[in-house]
Amino acid sequence: MQLRLEKRAQPSRTMLYAAPILAVLLTMVVGAILFSVIGYDGIGAVLEIFTRPLTNPLKWQDLGVKAAPLIIIGVGLSIAYRANVWNIGAEGQYVAGALGGTAVALLTMKMQGPWILPAMILFGILAGMALAAIPAFLKTQFDVNEILTTLMLNYAVVQLLYFLLRTVWKDPMGFSFPKTPLFTASQSLPYLWPGTILHWGVPIALLVAVLAWFVMSRSVFGFQVRVVGSAPHAARYGGFSAKRAIWLVMLVSGGLAGLAGVLEAAGPFRQLVPAFPTGYGFTAIIVAFLGRLNPLGVVIAGIVLAISYVGGEVAQTTMGLPSAATGIFQGMLLFFLLAGDVLVRYRVRAVSTRASGETA
Amino acid sequence: MTIEFAIAIIFAIVLVASPILLAGLGELVVEKAGVLNLGVEGMMLIGAVTGFAVTSSFGSPWLGTLAAAMAGATASMIFGFLTLTLAANQVATGLALTIFGGGFSALAGKAFLGKTVPAFTQLFPSPLATDPIWRVVFGYSPLVYFSLAMCIGVAWFLKSTRAGLILRAVGENDLSAHSIGYSVTGVRYAAVAFGGAMAGIAGSMFSLVLTPIWAEGLTAGRGWIALALVVFAAWKPYRLLVGAYLFGAVMTLEVHAKAAGGVFSALPSELWAALPYLMTIIVLVIISLRRSGNSVAPACLGKPFLPTI
Amino acid sequence: MTIATRRTILKGGLALAALPVLPGLAFGQEKLKVGFAYLAVPGDFGWTYAHDQGANDLAKALGDKVEVTKVENVGEAGPNVERVLRELAQQGHKLIFATTFGHMEAAVKVSAEFPDVIFEHCTGYMTGPNLGTYNARFYEGRAVIGTIAGHMSKKGVAGYIASFPIPEVVMGMNAFVIAARKVNPAFVLKAAYLSTWFDPAKEGAQAQAFIDQGCDFITQHTDSPAPVELCERLGVPCFGQASDMSAFGPTQCLTSIVDNWGPHYIKTAEAVIAGTWAPAQPWDGLKDGGLVITPYNATVPADVQAAADVVKNGQIDGSFHIFTGPLKDKDGAEFVAAGVTPDDGFLLGMQTYVEGIEVIQ
Repeated sequence: MQLRLEKRAQPSRTMLYAAPILAVLLTMVVGAILFSVIGYDGIGAVLEIFTRPLTNPLKWQDLGVKAAPLIIIGVGLSIAYRANVWNIGAEGQYVAGALGGTAVALLTMKMQGPWILPAMILFGILAGMALAAIPAFLKTQFDVNEILTTLMLNYAVVQLLYFLLRTVWKDPMGFSFPKTPLFTASQSLPYLWPGTILHWGVPIALLVAVLAWFVMSRSVFGFQVRVVGSAPHAARYGGFSAKRAIWLVMLVSGGLAGLAGVLEAAGPFRQLVPAFPTGYGFTAIIVAFLGRLNPLGVVIAGIVLAISYVGGEVAQTTMGLPSAATGIFQGMLLFFLLAGDVLVRYRVRAVSTRASGETA
Repeated sequence: MTIEFAIAIIFAIVLVASPILLAGLGELVVEKAGVLNLGVEGMMLIGAVTGFAVTSSFGSPWLGTLAAAMAGATASMIFGFLTLTLAANQVATGLALTIFGGGFSALAGKAFLGKTVPAFTQLFPSPLATDPIWRVVFGYSPLVYFSLAMCIGVAWFLKSTRAGLILRAVGENDLSAHSIGYSVTGVRYAAVAFGGAMAGIAGSMFSLVLTPIWAEGLTAGRGWIALALVVFAAWKPYRLLVGAYLFGAVMTLEVHAKAAGGVFSALPSELWAALPYLMTIIVLVIISLRRSGNSVAPACLGKPFLPTI
Repeated sequence: MTIATRRTILKGGLALAALPVLPGLAFGQEKLKVGFAYLAVPGDFGWTYAHDQGANDLAKALGDKVEVTKVENVGEAGPNVERVLRELAQQGHKLIFATTFGHMEAAVKVSAEFPDVIFEHCTGYMTGPNLGTYNARFYEGRAVIGTIAGHMSKKGVAGYIASFPIPEVVMGMNAFVIAARKVNPAFVLKAAYLSTWFDPAKEGAQAQAFIDQGCDFITQHTDSPAPVELCERLGVPCFGQASDMSAFGPTQCLTSIVDNWGPHYIKTAEAVIAGTWAPAQPWDGLKDGGLVITPYNATVPADVQAAADVVKNGQIDGSFHIFTGPLKDKDGAEFVAAGVTPDDGFLLGMQTYVEGIEVIQ
């Protein structure tokens, strides 16, 4: 007896939506068991992590702020992955975006005006694109695997960040601590409402997602990306250039990661510090998959991951759960999601070993 | 520069290079079978904490290393089941394994914080192993010699054995290998398990040899260097050896540059830290240029195998 | 709040301390909920470990009068810090400790949002009506271990594994080498910045590099016990940082400078319960128990122990200050004039290296 996967003629719509929900539920169940086994109140921990951020209105704005960058990056990645372009360099592109925006900020420290913030955002996007252009160029010109180049660049960019903060960008009033000065009012992302921590990055994230959904489902570009990804041969017959598609999706995903980076720097951080890279670019890969590579799904997925972060902190303050729990929950969530994914495209069927031996 | 100082530097290079060589050899075999497992860092952390916990509890670093290998292999089976049996995306699964491994090792290691472990005994008798000159040959941890033996072993296995040939065939053309009657999934499971075991041992080398303590995130991203190394080496075991020592030299020079001053410290330390990654990209380009379109990467790398029968 | 330099704030004195006192909690039977935001995890055996010990001391000393909550891995800066501080305040914590320098901006911001919650921030320089700071005079400990190294180092060359070139670290490095050069005027300290507080592999590798280059003493201003563990194996004497690291170096760790936050945490919580808390900027030294020198290793000769005790006790009774001039900077220019003892503002803004330091950034 062994399990055999059979391809469905049509991807299952039911499973498409059921799998992520199933994954979240399974993570909660297994998480509860796991943490009970090692001596914590497992059920309590799961409830704290997954429900408290939703039931406590004070936490909603935290969710928004945490989810915004994940959504923006995740949307970009979902487009790239649709085209079968594996950009896993979003972390670096996110940092590059912050570097681009900060470069503008440091040049405009003594200036004021409504143009400064848009200029920062523009340069942030351009910086993210510029970094993504390297793997795009290498992929289209020399056929160099983009998984490897994007991954390598992540680390190089983080070192560039450290270098700049330690040397030329160091705050002269900061007692040699490697950080930039705080951004001025003209350089900071305003809050939506005074007294909250919700900044303009949150509606921008939603706007990006809706726009991307529209482009992907309604435009020729979206169609091309999907065809290049799912049927490269058909794309060639259809006259779509795979190289062009690679360039486009790399620039879009890099630019969006850059946007997320500059918004995070100008918003919640208001300065650049060595602790700026927090792995959003990697977490956004989970978000893109959890969201089924669909920009609207990414919004929901971004919120789910934000819940795991915020809830993880809640569980630390209310029940002393160690911070490592967050990583375990996120890892499991992705495991179950990926396992569940298979049900969308395949039917699992049990076949006897002998039968499979004969067909082999 | 005195001879003793030169030897001290070589000694340091070999030590930092060995764990990335071990993890790199494992990943090389995995990738040769057509599978890309980005979970090396996670498996290394799981191996590091297991090795430390077992050594601390039972007093034997050999037992600890064995346990680390088994833990790494077990962790790799999560990856194997998802990607090989369920055909899940390898990139995402590997990242999930790294995230999971970080959290798991941190939690599992809580009880072992602040403990110390007994060291490996020297493989060679004391006059040789402790001689200021000859220690450069005889004075290393047994795991260093193990990494060299594994390098020879893996090279021989891939090049000269039937099983190695099958493994390469599975990585180059899974459909043909399948049609001749080889179990593509079975071969890949074996490769992934081997990769996990090697990553586990590499992790235990951190917690038992390099910095024999347990701390969260002890491997500090060296798993990613191992991944870079495989590419850098163009999937060739002996080049992997050279690459590991080159990367080790860069990492060692980074700290020695600071201590020695002079021309080395003129370059910012961040550049040294970024160098292995940048070198890898450059090598990738050179490889592609030389092969003009014909990549040296295993043809099926990262692609799920699902025979449609 | 204006962002003044540390020095002007300290020179301005503690005028803020005169501000009205917040309503106390003495009349309620309710427990005081005390929250701690940790840079890393207690398992670092360094900075966070020491704060965790302090938090445990607090819980032990005040028993059921307090309820202690700890949040790990808050990080050095950024929105996480803000969110955690806010989370603690929203959960009803009335006294919150932000335990690293990088938490300062977040503490200023969140303390303004929760005027009825008292915040204290470790090693920072900005205060507010409900925000105080606290710190310890670690340089006093560095003067003691520098004295030991000065006596015992045969080559007169020590390696200093440093984190970031902030005044706190520069001050410690200077205190160490000044003390060593009082014993051995040719003493040289090699210092390297790792740009991290915690990376065991990197710290160990740096220690190895120093030893290979001829340093016969190792000391560190990073948090992991990896250098001590390495020194134990190689037989190179060293000193523990932040917590008692003798378990990692039973024969080579000559003593540890232990960050002792417990007394401050207990004092502060008691003041909050009694309703007498006021924003202040205490900087406790050996005298007030802000830091503790652990018993010397048996390998330290009796005369060296005695010499170290002279420095230690002189700092406790106030007769000795390590930064009393004359001191020269590393280029030979005058740094502190003869007979002058610089004030705290001078110390907290220190960015100049004294004679005898070879520093590589």
